[in-house]
Amino acid sequence: MAATLQTPDTGAVLAARKAHDEKLAKRADQTRAIWFPVTVLAVLLALPLLQFTGNYNYLLHLVLFTASYVVMAAGWNILGGFAGYVSLGHAVFFAIGGYFSGVLLARFGISTLLTAPLAGLLAAVCGYLIGQITLKVRGPSFIISSIALLMIARILFDHWTFIGGANGLALPINDLPVLWAKLPYYYAFIFMAAFTVWATYRIKHSKLGLGLRALSKDEIKAESAGIDTRFYKVVAFALSAFFVGMAGAVWGEYLTYLRPNIFLIILVSANLVLMCILGGKGTIAGPVVGAVLIVGINELFVATMGASELNLFGTGLVMAVALMFFPLGVVGTLARKGKLPRILNWD
Amino acid sequence: MAQFIQVLILGLALGGVIALMGSGLSLVFGVMRIVNLAHPSLIIAGAYVAYWAFKLWGIDPIVMLPIAALILAGIGVLLYRLMFEQEAKSARYSEMTVLLTFALAMMVEGLLGAFFTNTQRVTSPDYATDAFFISDIFIPKGQLYAGIVSLVIIGGLALFLKYSRMGYAIRATTQNRDAAELLGVNVNLVSVVAFAIGIGLAGAAGALVSFVFSFFPAKQWEWIAMLMSVVVLGGMGSILGTVVAAFSLSVIAAFVGTWVGATWSTMTFFLALFVILLIRPEGLFGEKPEMA
Repeated sequence: MAATLQTPDTGAVLAARKAHDEKLAKRADQTRAIWFPVTVLAVLLALPLLQFTGNYNYLLHLVLFTASYVVMAAGWNILGGFAGYVSLGHAVFFAIGGYFSGVLLARFGISTLLTAPLAGLLAAVCGYLIGQITLKVRGPSFIISSIALLMIARILFDHWTFIGGANGLALPINDLPVLWAKLPYYYAFIFMAAFTVWATYRIKHSKLGLGLRALSKDEIKAESAGIDTRFYKVVAFALSAFFVGMAGAVWGEYLTYLRPNIFLIILVSANLVLMCILGGKGTIAGPVVGAVLIVGINELFVATMGASELNLFGTGLVMAVALMFFPLGVVGTLARKGKLPRILNWD
Repeated sequence: MAQFIQVLILGLALGGVIALMGSGLSLVFGVMRIVNLAHPSLIIAGAYVAYWAFKLWGIDPIVMLPIAALILAGIGVLLYRLMFEQEAKSARYSEMTVLLTFALAMMVEGLLGAFFTNTQRVTSPDYATDAFFISDIFIPKGQLYAGIVSLVIIGGLALFLKYSRMGYAIRATTQNRDAAELLGVNVNLVSVVAFAIGIGLAGAAGALVSFVFSFFPAKQWEWIAMLMSVVVLGGMGSILGTVVAAFSLSVIAAFVGTWVGATWSTMTFFLALFVILLIRPEGLFGEKPEMA
């Protein structure tokens, strides 16, 4: 009596897999509290209403400052967190974005709020080209090459007279009353921050994000599994440059001047790295948590110690302690212990 | 022709100091697989030791060199115990360690800046501004002395690595850490000693740097890129490679500085780094880097 092998119905298998995936997605959704980021966003959008009751410019500045770092740190996270390529040269894209939009503003009077996406695109193109070269190497060599990139850019920007050289470029100040002068930039940064966080979420869960996370674990295995690692890495570099460049564009107009020793310093890059590590590299909420923490700590240091040199020491100290004791960051450590509060589970 | 020789001599004179600055970095990488981004900041710390000794008590920087080296070596042991002991146990390179040294670099710069401010300083013994003249070619005395002292120190280091028992163990650990440990080398001790020597070399280099270059705490970023290009060109972990690379890059930079423009002279190092990474990432004398 020959037992007939039952041939499984392909459609049924696919349907079962889909049902299983949906079950997983549903379970993931249950651990998430989507209302929290939405509420935070709503509160931040309504925050300028405070201006009717008094001068809260400092508060607005802090939120704006944090939001700008959220944009950049989340952008850095695409390359440093997902793909595992730590770059200390991302200040270059900050400067490229800032100078591109700044020059357009100074020469033609076009607001940087309009040209910011273009500045981001330019930074992305530069990132794509630079990535073609520097992403050939990984590990220590990549970090070193990113520092060299920063030094090269600094020399170029310092000696390029068209953009003011080392003296920089003064930008026109907008003619809004003091109470409302920050508002356009405030909303621009809040919008960009929300967009960046949403975009990193989409990237992490796309095919690109999956490939990046695979190659961060083991590049050779990822390559042999059929992932075009070279292309994925370069795209990740370009994407992260895009967000950093966009933030630089608006930041330039907010600051009303561009100068290499503000945009092209290693402290800017270091802050991005620090935020991602402190918050949790490769997580969605990590850069946000890190940015809030670092800006908070920074303000505390400036308020208590004042001196910028000690500030640098403090930044280094926080970074060293974080690396030695919580290398996974706040979000990563909590998630590993299974104690991540639902409001911070954005992945 | 005279100008050619002149520039060549100026380049060679600086090459020795740059080689000394890079050799400690190379040694630490070889033994511990740590890319020590804090190395230049520690060189500057050594330079401050020599600077204050000269300023306060009039001690010659070259006399002060062994003391600066010892002080920095002590700091090195301390740093190793505090920060790198855990990391050193795993022989593999890790991203975290590089960032840790980066954090250390910021801390050192912050401390130095807070104590000594960010003004440019230079130690000025008599010979720093003096020169020998051979017909119409001049050799700056300060750079010549610094170059000679550097070469003597590097020569001593090479002899130590080649003939002493500890040097033998250091070389074994550089080649293959696990095999060295299997054969009874106390790898942990070797790591401490190598790290202390590496940082001590930074202190020695600092004493020489104090009268060859002007320095201030924030100058370390320029030097990081410069030294990295030297060490990468020479091949990570190879002292001989570091020396060869330092002299060749220094001479090229001197020519670029004379014929193209002074600002492009430092640029030589940074561009060279890119080109090397592009063409031959393992450097002149290095082995193929492992994929970590």
